[in-house]
Amino acid sequence: MISRSLLSRWQMPRLDTDGRWIGGVCAALAKEIGVQPLVIRGSFVVLAFGDGWGLLLYAATWALLLLGAPNVVVGVYSPQPKGASSFHRHIGIFLIVLSLLITTQSYDLGPLGQWSLFSELVWPVGFVVVGGLIAWTQGRDAVGGLSSVARIIAGVVVAVSGLTAFGIALTNDTFSLVILGVVIVLLAGLGVVIGPSLVRMGNTIDQERSERIRSDERAQVAAHLHDSVLQTLSLIQRHSDNRTQVVQLARQQERELRGWLYGTKPSTPGTTRVGPAIEEAASHVESLHGLPIEVVSVGDTVDYQPEDIHGLVAASREAMVNASIHSQADKIDVFVECGQESIDVFVRDTGVGFDPARIAGDRRGVSESIVGRMKRIGGRAVIDTEVGLGTEVELSLPTPRSTTPVTEPTDRPTVKVDGNQMFSLGHSGMEGKSYD
Amino acid sequence: MISIVLVDDHALVRAGVRGELDQAFNVVGEAGDVAEAVEVICSTKPDVVLCDVHLPGGNAPAVLTGVVERGVSAKFLALSVSDAAEDVISVIRAGARGYVTKAISGDDLRSAIQRVHSGDAVFSPRLAGFVLDAFSPTLEHPTSELDVLTAREQEVMRLLARGLAYKEIARKLTISIKTVESHASAVLRKLQVSNRSELARWAADRRIL
Repeated sequence: MISRSLLSRWQMPRLDTDGRWIGGVCAALAKEIGVQPLVIRGSFVVLAFGDGWGLLLYAATWALLLLGAPNVVVGVYSPQPKGASSFHRHIGIFLIVLSLLITTQSYDLGPLGQWSLFSELVWPVGFVVVGGLIAWTQGRDAVGGLSSVARIIAGVVVAVSGLTAFGIALTNDTFSLVILGVVIVLLAGLGVVIGPSLVRMGNTIDQERSERIRSDERAQVAAHLHDSVLQTLSLIQRHSDNRTQVVQLARQQERELRGWLYGTKPSTPGTTRVGPAIEEAASHVESLHGLPIEVVSVGDTVDYQPEDIHGLVAASREAMVNASIHSQADKIDVFVECGQESIDVFVRDTGVGFDPARIAGDRRGVSESIVGRMKRIGGRAVIDTEVGLGTEVELSLPTPRSTTPVTEPTDRPTVKVDGNQMFSLGHSGMEGKSYD
Repeated sequence: MISIVLVDDHALVRAGVRGELDQAFNVVGEAGDVAEAVEVICSTKPDVVLCDVHLPGGNAPAVLTGVVERGVSAKFLALSVSDAAEDVISVIRAGARGYVTKAISGDDLRSAIQRVHSGDAVFSPRLAGFVLDAFSPTLEHPTSELDVLTAREQEVMRLLARGLAYKEIARKLTISIKTVESHASAVLRKLQVSNRSELARWAADRRIL
């Protein structure tokens, strides 16, 4: 892959803090180029005598490596074996050659105006080498493409402009201006050469990141489907002879998948929203006992204490559990209505019902878990049941702001409606003893 | 015998439903998408159309309007796997006479079809809950009489939402089953013709959730 090889080529060398003498620049370059650190160090020292070029170059390289080092994505791209890239080696050799050339020139003549024939060749040769290297490496690595052609041209331009400028410089006195021009041309050329690589490096990193996010998401979906749907399917296959279990598994899975797909997942604990909390309780009870529970919820909760909501949900849950275990019905309907004056919960089944007189004594499930709990949080529970016709538990919790307490008909404990016994528990204060 | 057309994009579901209904009703046609459904309904002119909500080539309301445009009248009962009311409310608004979920038992489905055929509305507990929510008096400014449920209608809806059958509601409110049915039909009509914005907003809110 072209972009990958370019990327690794342009990956910044990191300052070698372990093998350093000063800043680790020479050691880093040596590692990068694949030569002895002493060679680089020597080059810099020699360069330093050439009008201080070495010091300048050293400082610039140091700054560059310091700036460049942190943005290298560690661990994503494994760096190429150092010294393997011919490009690096060319740079290194060029650095050494350059240092020798400049130094020779510098020793010959101090002032910039008086250049020997040999030193006049220094800059042109330098540019030709740089431009040639660029053109060559680009042409070798980049297979076709407009941008690689452009960069080969840019490399040639750098080389040619170097030659031209210094041709002029040799015949002119406006030396420094020309130098400036050359530097600009050089930088522009290098910009054309390096720019795309830098941009591509950025793009590649972005692309890699978004690809990683996408594949993470895919993995998440796959994991979810595996954990839930596939598991359930295999469970269903194994229990294919047990109808109730299959239905239960399928229903539980349906609920879960629906919640996951449409984001209607029941809310987290500590919530004060009754509807979702009861739905969650219902799905839990359903998965425990295998009886389908359909929850219909209307309205939304207003400022209740979380403990009160918790109590209401717990009582509802107990009612659902009772219905699941005892009713023998084929489903349970739960209706939650959050009105302005109260929250009402109805847990209804069309099962066998029961005779309350017979559970009044020792069984504490109804009187404690449902009636007592509702009473403690300031609400009430009414249980309406008849043998053979099913049971309905009605829970009511008044809003904290409503000043009127839940009014209850005084004759409520035993009312006959169409032969249907109605029981009121809670505020009567006679729970457990009032059924007869 | 009541004639029926089944519209569902899953052949397996059609086959299953057909198996439930074949004894009691005359299933005269099946369709798997909107265009086919309109075609089949117009050529067979069934009494009742059992229609899924999500269909290729549009949804159930498209079938309803297509059939009405062709001058054919049939009673629609929406049968959906989705128990999300916002999916179904568009069908009801388009003129369907009722809505049941695919979890419904065979007996219940048969009685629902009979009820729809005789001109009554069929409410599931969830649809009743939706009505209560959408017509809730806490939502401000009812614009016309159509936009409020009477106390009795509210009571009927609440009992429907609690899962009671018409018969049980009648007993509980000490009124006749016929009266319960007429209340339910009145509510369905209000649901269909009401232009109160809360309906749309309610559905929109739920879709966001």
